[in-house]
Amino acid sequence: MKLFRKKNDLYLSDKQPLTFWGVIGLALTYLILIGWSIVILWPLGQMVISSFNGNQDQYLILNGGAYDFSFKHFKFLFDETLYLSWVKNTIFIAIASALLTLLFVSFTGFAYSRYRFKGRKSSLMSIMLIQTIPAFAGITAYYTLHTLIANSVPAFSRQMMLILIYSAGGIAGNTFILKGYLDSISTELDDAARIDGCSSMKVYRLIIMPIARPMLAIIALWSFIGPFMDYLLPRVLLTNVESYTLAAGLYTLINNQYDFNQPAFAAGGLLTAVPIVIMFVVLQKQLVSGLSKGSVKG
Amino acid sequence: MNVELKNIGKKYEGRESFTLRNIDLEIEEKDFCVILGPSGCGKTTLLRMIAGLNSITEGDLLFGGRRVNKVASKDRDIAMVFQSYALYPHMTVYDNMAFSLSMRKERKKVIHDRVMEAAEVLQITDYLHSKPSDISGGQRQRVALGRAMVRKPSVFLMDEPLSNLDAKLREHMRVELVRLHKQLGTTTIYVTHDQTEAMTMATKIVLMNGGKIQQAGKPDEFYNKPQNIFVAKFIGSPTMNIIEGTMKKGLFISEDDLIKIKPTPDDAELLLAYEGKKVSVGIRPERFESGGKFGDTFECKIDVVEMLGKEKILYARLENGKELIISTPGHYEYISGEDHKFGFDIGAIHFFDTETEERIN
Repeated sequence: MKLFRKKNDLYLSDKQPLTFWGVIGLALTYLILIGWSIVILWPLGQMVISSFNGNQDQYLILNGGAYDFSFKHFKFLFDETLYLSWVKNTIFIAIASALLTLLFVSFTGFAYSRYRFKGRKSSLMSIMLIQTIPAFAGITAYYTLHTLIANSVPAFSRQMMLILIYSAGGIAGNTFILKGYLDSISTELDDAARIDGCSSMKVYRLIIMPIARPMLAIIALWSFIGPFMDYLLPRVLLTNVESYTLAAGLYTLINNQYDFNQPAFAAGGLLTAVPIVIMFVVLQKQLVSGLSKGSVKG
Repeated sequence: MNVELKNIGKKYEGRESFTLRNIDLEIEEKDFCVILGPSGCGKTTLLRMIAGLNSITEGDLLFGGRRVNKVASKDRDIAMVFQSYALYPHMTVYDNMAFSLSMRKERKKVIHDRVMEAAEVLQITDYLHSKPSDISGGQRQRVALGRAMVRKPSVFLMDEPLSNLDAKLREHMRVELVRLHKQLGTTTIYVTHDQTEAMTMATKIVLMNGGKIQQAGKPDEFYNKPQNIFVAKFIGSPTMNIIEGTMKKGLFISEDDLIKIKPTPDDAELLLAYEGKKVSVGIRPERFESGGKFGDTFECKIDVVEMLGKEKILYARLENGKELIISTPGHYEYISGEDHKFGFDIGAIHFFDTETEERIN
């Protein structure tokens, strides 16, 4: 028994034991972290609670009041508003821009990582610099561009313009990220594949893409989330309430002081998380990194 | 298939000078040709040019008489084993080996037979369905070899394939590679910086330095008849001793007058033309004679004794501090700090022209 207790007292950590000031510092760190998480979690919690509270009317009342669990606000959302078509629009735009981004970035990332060409460095720098200009700055250009294209192709809608802006805007940053990841994959794999009979396209599709899948999954996820988060561009570019995305659509529930409905806004916000969570779960397996382990060396 | 290099040169984009130039080489069918050289001598560049991964700036590359300068790597009928193995990490061992054949749209049955055949030769049948990350370094090495074998190429190219293995395994794989080469009889071109690998495996060694071929030939020629001082010093461990001096009245006299050698009659005849000129003498550490019954002897102080078991390496110093490396059988007694007299095995002395560094005898 004594022996057992002695074993329990062994100091097993690799760090030096804490001093008095160390303990105080650690306590402070925890205090800050806990405070921070409360700041983030409390509003979220209030949103979830209020969206299910039948006693809430037009305004959100956060202090006290009776609580009555009901789906009233969700019902309102589906029956009285265009919520479903907003969801449909957003998912369409999100998926389309994620796919387009992946396609573009695959080409640019692979080219920048594997080929040496004139102007490689300077063009890489310039797309990085262009990235610093906010996408909204080009709003007049977008209008003109849309008018020009729509004149010759009438099917080109404002939503498609939005998809183009999102996916093109994602190219710069994501090219950098993917290039960095591909650089870490040994070029001997390319050489081996080429000797085995692959063309450049096949080298990417059959060898490099499966290895870079974790990074591609992250890029896809981020481009998918983008349209859910953006309010400004859809609000300005889309003219018809029916073609709104979620962020722009939900805003119509709280911007008119005569018929606004804050609890319904909260309920809509809560449901917005659902597609993103689903996307995350789907991609989770791909997000596991370290796939390229074992390809080279021992 | 024999491989012929005619006046091959390579200049990389954005470089001032040629990395390789005037490379002439003929590799016979079924040869195991080892391209040897210190790092940065252009040996990997040469191999990548033969593989078609780097372009050829000038000259002709002939495979069995056919010029292949502009032929894509996949159509050259070659297979390559890389230093890092370059196994596809997302495929199983079986798929890795089958990949090249399936890219060539072979029938499933043929692919399966070839993979199984190669796997049996290399004894990797047990883990055909593991991923490369789940098997050990030695096993990965075999898989990389197997991937090259299933193609049944006419030329094997290997780029330092053993450099990532530990010493014991490397020794083992060396023998295995030689056995495999005998069994398959495929022309093999093997790049390495390790002289032991070159000496033990090659039927033909090509030693390169500074973008030029220094000597090409059989392993024993390299050891016993090095063409110049670079080759003499590169091959053999410990390194050959080089002593600079001049020829005076048919005798070699070192710069510091401490060593005098009377060459054999055959050598003396060749050295006639060098009377009064600068000449370097090369002698391998194991060709010193202890005891001093061989005529020309010199005295030195033993500085450090390295005991290797079967031999002792003596780091000896002459009066003026010049170091000589002497190798003696392990059971001889030497103590550091002792003074000793050593002689030369006259028949085993290499004479070089100091100016051109070329061999004389």
